[in-house]
Amino acid sequence: MILVKDLSIERSNKKIFENVNLSLGSGKIILLKGKNGSGKTTLLKALLNLIEPSSGAIYWKGKLLKKNLYNFFNHVTYIADRTSSLSNLSVQENIKIWKKFFLSSISNSQVDNILETLKLDIYLDQKVNSLSFGETKKLEFLRLIIENKKIWILDEPLSNLDNESIDVMAQTFEDHRSKEGSIIFSSHQISDINVSEEVLL
Amino acid sequence: MIFLVNPSKFNKVADYVFLPVLILSIILFSIGLIFAFYLSPDDYQQGSTVRIMYVHVPSAWLALLTYVIMSLYSIAGLAFRIPFGFIINTAVAPIGAVFTLICIISGSLWGKPMWGTWWVWDARLTSVAILFIIYVIIIFINLSFENRIVREKVVAIFILVGSVNLPIVKFSVDWWNTLHQPATISKLSKPSIDPSMMTPLIIMTFAFIMMGIAIAILRIKTEIISRKSYLS
Amino acid sequence: MIILKKIISFYYREYKLNLSGFQDILTNIIFFFVSIFIFIFSIGPDKETISSIGIGIVWTLLLLSSTLSLRKFYQDDFENGNLLIMHLNGLSFGFIAILKTFSHFIFVQMPFLLSIPIACILLNIESDKLIYLFYSFALGSFILSCLGSISSSMNLMNQRNFLLGSIIVMIFSVPVIIFSVSIVNLEENFNSLISILFGILLIVFAINPWASGLCLKLSLENN
Repeated sequence: MILVKDLSIERSNKKIFENVNLSLGSGKIILLKGKNGSGKTTLLKALLNLIEPSSGAIYWKGKLLKKNLYNFFNHVTYIADRTSSLSNLSVQENIKIWKKFFLSSISNSQVDNILETLKLDIYLDQKVNSLSFGETKKLEFLRLIIENKKIWILDEPLSNLDNESIDVMAQTFEDHRSKEGSIIFSSHQISDINVSEEVLL
Repeated sequence: MIFLVNPSKFNKVADYVFLPVLILSIILFSIGLIFAFYLSPDDYQQGSTVRIMYVHVPSAWLALLTYVIMSLYSIAGLAFRIPFGFIINTAVAPIGAVFTLICIISGSLWGKPMWGTWWVWDARLTSVAILFIIYVIIIFINLSFENRIVREKVVAIFILVGSVNLPIVKFSVDWWNTLHQPATISKLSKPSIDPSMMTPLIIMTFAFIMMGIAIAILRIKTEIISRKSYLS
Repeated sequence: MIILKKIISFYYREYKLNLSGFQDILTNIIFFFVSIFIFIFSIGPDKETISSIGIGIVWTLLLLSSTLSLRKFYQDDFENGNLLIMHLNGLSFGFIAILKTFSHFIFVQMPFLLSIPIACILLNIESDKLIYLFYSFALGSFILSCLGSISSSMNLMNQRNFLLGSIIVMIFSVPVIIFSVSIVNLEENFNSLISILFGILLIVFAINPWASGLCLKLSLENN
């Protein structure tokens, strides 16, 4: 669905990467690998039309991404390397705000189930700023389920997670793949997530 | 006219033009100052203090002109993606600030004998003071952002938003009853100024313009060199 | 219909956020009153003087206290990435700016509406002028919100010198102050002055989504 053709990006006259080709179809998981500063985050931002490529183009459903932007946004969830939950509010309130904001049709029992597998259900009434960093990160992944979109764009989803949570993530990825969804994520650590393609930047 | 938007062409033209412009401005300044101090008559109302006009009026015009140029180049930079516009903005802002400051100081020196006070809060004076503060803010924005791309675009946006002040400065003497006298020279009607005062005023205006261009060329060339790697 | 639901949920979120940070808004109001005390101590408790410059004091302090909270206008949402999430949820940057401006107007400026009558009692302003003060504040504070949106979106990437944002708001709010104060003082010109103020509001409201949207996009691109 997403097609990246000969994408190169330079910022302040410094080449970040050159001639990247990607195609993200349904049921595909792409892993972006590379050193620090090799442009993993930049590529993901370019996919969201936040960064203007210096040459090459990105297509969404056969049309240029720029021309078809809001249609694309209807199908995509982006999770940055920072947490977007509101730190002054409790976990429950955050979930409620997300459910309203993303017009989610997901049921409460489903959310409770996921909270239990992520072991966040004991913190439900606590404020987010009392949680540890790994726990806020896990809370962030709840958005993937709440938003319920086809394409997931994830920036460093596996850092700061314990092995158990990484297994949960791998299971979630598999479920998403079996539902014809597609994932593109960046990581610099080795994991046993079953990816269909690796791109080295 | 391509040299007005292309840095390397501008460099070439500037190399030819710089020395003649500098010499011309020195010549015009000497002629103009001789005219202003010895050859032009005293005003029948204001006496000898009218000679402040030959500094005050050209600097006021140039303060406005500099802002207009910056607004035009901001549009060029933002809408047509011409990076040279941002270079002009950074280079020219201090020049405009200095012209505005000269205008304010000479005006207040003129105001003390004529109105009996250094400063009054009327529309023209206040709007020029705001113009000066806008120039200062532009310089400060240039100093305090670390990311160059963000900085130059923010400056351009601020210049465009701040340009609402320009018509207020220009027409404040017509819109409100101010102590400041209305414009004596306008394009549409015959100027209400005597030719013997008109000549030194025009000479001084051109001297100021030439001086401004000379300084601007120097500053723009420095600016181009400092970001050579980015433009090439 | 979907966009309406998104707008409602946006304001639900803003409501929750401002409720949890209510002490910030309260601090603004306390600042407003403490400054009134300082003003009265510095010019002396003479009733005539106070009531002649009272309107000016009220407006100056309203402006100053609303610039205090500018830092929170976009900064929090920018730093935790919520601006980007809102954009990905189908709201354009200009539209986010408009929604945020209204949110600032409702949650930060409106509490001052309640504090104005108390300020009028303290500053010896006659009660028949109060209604004009309300009118001018309703229009003027919305202009201040728009200006605040522009200046704080400009200063998102400015880590060094945040006071610049307040100065930008104050320099552009000069006409607002002039016309708002004269609405209260020159009641016979009420109609013409309120039209001018409304005109300024429309101009600023038209510039706001363009300028703020551009600055938000710029900051997110280069972050």
